[in-house]
Amino acid sequence: MIKQFVLIGLLAILFAVFFVSMQDIQELYNTFGKDYIAASGFADTGSRNLVTAILLDYRLFDSLFEAGILLIAVSGVIWISKHEIEEKNAQFMLDKFNTPDLFVTFSRLVYPLMLAFGFYVIINGHVSPGGGFQGGAIVATAILILYYIDADKETNIGLIVTIEKILYIAILLVASLSIVTRGEFFTNFFALDASADTKAIYLVLLNVMIGMKVALGLWTIFTAFLKEGR
Amino acid sequence: MLYAPIALIFIPVFSALVIYLVKARFIHYLALIAQAAMTVLAILYYQTYTGNFADTFFVIGGWDARIGISLINDPLSLSFVFLSLFTWWMVLIYTFNTKQDNRTFLFFLMFLQGVFLGLLQTNDLFNMFVFLELTTIIVTILIAFKKAGDSFRAGIYYLLLNTSGVLMFLIGIILLYFTFGTINVNTIQEAMQAGVLVTGEEYAVRFAYVLLMAGISVKAALFPVFTWLPKAHGVAMSAISGLLSGLVVKGGLYLFIRMNEMFAGAQIDYTLFFYVVGALTAVIGVMFALTQKDMKQVLAYHTISQVGIVMMGLAHYDEQTAFGGLLHIFNHALFKTLLFLGAGIIIKAYNNKKIKEIRGVMRTMPVVSIFMIVGMLSITGAPFFNGFISKSIIKYGIQASGIKYWILFIVNIGTATSFIKMSQVFFGPKVMTLRIKEMGQRIALMTLAFSCVILGNLYIPISEGFFGIDVSHVSAVKWEAFFDYAVALILGFCFYKLVIEKDPRAVRKIREFNVSFETANYLFMLYVAVMVVYFVLL
Amino acid sequence: MNPLLTFVVILIGFYGLSTSTNIIKSVFCVTIIESGVILLFLNLGNLDGGVIPVIGDTLPVGGIADPLPQALMITTIVIGSTVTALALMLCIKVFHHYGTVEWAEILSRESGK
Repeated sequence: MIKQFVLIGLLAILFAVFFVSMQDIQELYNTFGKDYIAASGFADTGSRNLVTAILLDYRLFDSLFEAGILLIAVSGVIWISKHEIEEKNAQFMLDKFNTPDLFVTFSRLVYPLMLAFGFYVIINGHVSPGGGFQGGAIVATAILILYYIDADKETNIGLIVTIEKILYIAILLVASLSIVTRGEFFTNFFALDASADTKAIYLVLLNVMIGMKVALGLWTIFTAFLKEGR
Repeated sequence: MLYAPIALIFIPVFSALVIYLVKARFIHYLALIAQAAMTVLAILYYQTYTGNFADTFFVIGGWDARIGISLINDPLSLSFVFLSLFTWWMVLIYTFNTKQDNRTFLFFLMFLQGVFLGLLQTNDLFNMFVFLELTTIIVTILIAFKKAGDSFRAGIYYLLLNTSGVLMFLIGIILLYFTFGTINVNTIQEAMQAGVLVTGEEYAVRFAYVLLMAGISVKAALFPVFTWLPKAHGVAMSAISGLLSGLVVKGGLYLFIRMNEMFAGAQIDYTLFFYVVGALTAVIGVMFALTQKDMKQVLAYHTISQVGIVMMGLAHYDEQTAFGGLLHIFNHALFKTLLFLGAGIIIKAYNNKKIKEIRGVMRTMPVVSIFMIVGMLSITGAPFFNGFISKSIIKYGIQASGIKYWILFIVNIGTATSFIKMSQVFFGPKVMTLRIKEMGQRIALMTLAFSCVILGNLYIPISEGFFGIDVSHVSAVKWEAFFDYAVALILGFCFYKLVIEKDPRAVRKIREFNVSFETANYLFMLYVAVMVVYFVLL
Repeated sequence: MNPLLTFVVILIGFYGLSTSTNIIKSVFCVTIIESGVILLFLNLGNLDGGVIPVIGDTLPVGGIADPLPQALMITTIVIGSTVTALALMLCIKVFHHYGTVEWAEILSRESGK
């Protein structure tokens, strides 16, 4: 008991210091980054969604490793979950007969809508809120609903992982195309003064590839967990 | 040549992906080819920019430096790059075989190299966070790679503790971003030095410093938060243990140097605090190492104590002493990798980890034993070996203060004791063991042992040429050097015979002392709170 | 929401991390800390008020929220989800090997072996 009181005391110290530093931040609050991006973000990158402008242009290097982290996690989860003996009749945790009919029916109804919405979010990532990562997560969720509709669905994980890796290589290549066209790494491969519509080609291309990669990655992780829950 | 850092980061990543994808028979050799290409590139890059390292700065995408991500190199980061390339060479050669399973292993190993090189060269705080977290995840997978129960447990312990530490680091980044309007390391450093808007006296800046240091301390395995290290390094494969102990832990120490450079303008006096933390780390690491029975556990606890010694050197403003700490990072990387790889061969041949049950290594495996002895002489600080150099530099730096000197001396005695205990495995009659003749393992051990000896003798030109620091006052050809070493050995031997060998109750108690996960986090909170009180409130 | 409140969320996560004895709970606590960090970052990015950083031909009246923290937080969310996935997978494996997900019991079973 005394241990917990001491712990609360320690956390209270942290909170107190955070409280006083918040006072400082309110005074110092520096909006340089915000003002800079608000002023020149659209002109520089051709993206009306400034978050996408940062993700796919200003800080594309980060996003590449963000996709890489997912790739590593997928390979890691697959490696860790791989069993020594190949179980052929692995039963999925989701039992079709235990899933309510209402749920199955609604899943059938919702599935195409979710898929369409996911693609909408991916493709319009540069003009409206959204983008590759967000849309990819939605698409992955839609695919997961398939398991509720068809519990016996067989998924070839090996193939998905291969496609995911190839997509990652493709993303790397598209991202570094700009070294050929502009002499700079990891930015838009169209010239800086190109029109916004031209630049949008690059943004949509990259968003779609990232979206697909994320969707496939999450799908794989989910499938690995399903197999684990026999 | 300007874009060579990008190539250094992406050549291993790319080759990792190709190795994972292509199921060809000889695809494993791609790792070696990539490694050779990177080595050549790094050497050319170093030659191009010697003397004007400021030119290595560039912003990816050509944006404003305060918005985009920039990379920069200096002698410090480049020396770490060379160290990483060297260590990865050794691990690659040591583990090289063309089995199909090995492809997955190579995939993670090469990807980790790209990420680690990125961590060394980046000049952006958030990018640093991404690389730190990516390192954590890949290392977790590599720890759990054996797929045994204890490696899973060690993996999850490592993952959760380090993630909570890295999240602390992220909170620090948040505070800095809203104070300076950028997360570029150089810009923040200049702003702090100029002191116009932010003087460094603000609570926000100091709290950010504490949070960054908290995250780094977990990664570097400093005193109260080192508990993940022995668990993780004790159960991973020997090659991975060598890589983690030799290099990946040093990532935290590297960030410690970089972050303190960044906060140079904020006038934060970190020397005393981190000296005490380093001393505690060293003493407690040695104390645990003395009581262990498992060969790899002993080595893992010695990593902690050596990190403590490095910290004792780094926590000084005096250039010489801090350089001693830096040099000890390199020396420790060499001899600890050597010891782990050698221990791996012995453990595999005897199929046993217990020091008491392994006997007769000298007669059974003479070549391996000689290299192991070189490693042991280095770690205990024998003259003419590399450990001696850096320990002496630190010793000269802190000689003026009595208590600091004695702490280092005590740690030295402890190290000597524990390696006298370990050297027992060499004695005894020849034993029939599994004969594993792997050329790669021999080559890796030999290269590491030779580099230990070379660095122990040619340290003056190396440190002069790379860092421009004159260390010619350190010499092994003095009777004091031998006298000190002999005293440490004799005292260590007495201590071993009188106390450790009898295995008294206190020793057993320490050995069975185990820090559970929640207690580790509790200690972490305590550590952060103490840092807050010391750096912010006082 | 106040930044102070989000910091309390972070502290709750750390409190849980230092008291819970169960692996699953520890994983949850890390997730809670992560959510707290994300909320804190987004909150501070919008301290002066402002709308979402999607702009038309002119900047919206009243300014926009800082887009950089939002972009960084997407990265953090992805990192967080991967850490959770990996941790849960390891947790399942630990359960298969030891038959329990209590830190203390795992330790006792390990030393008993």
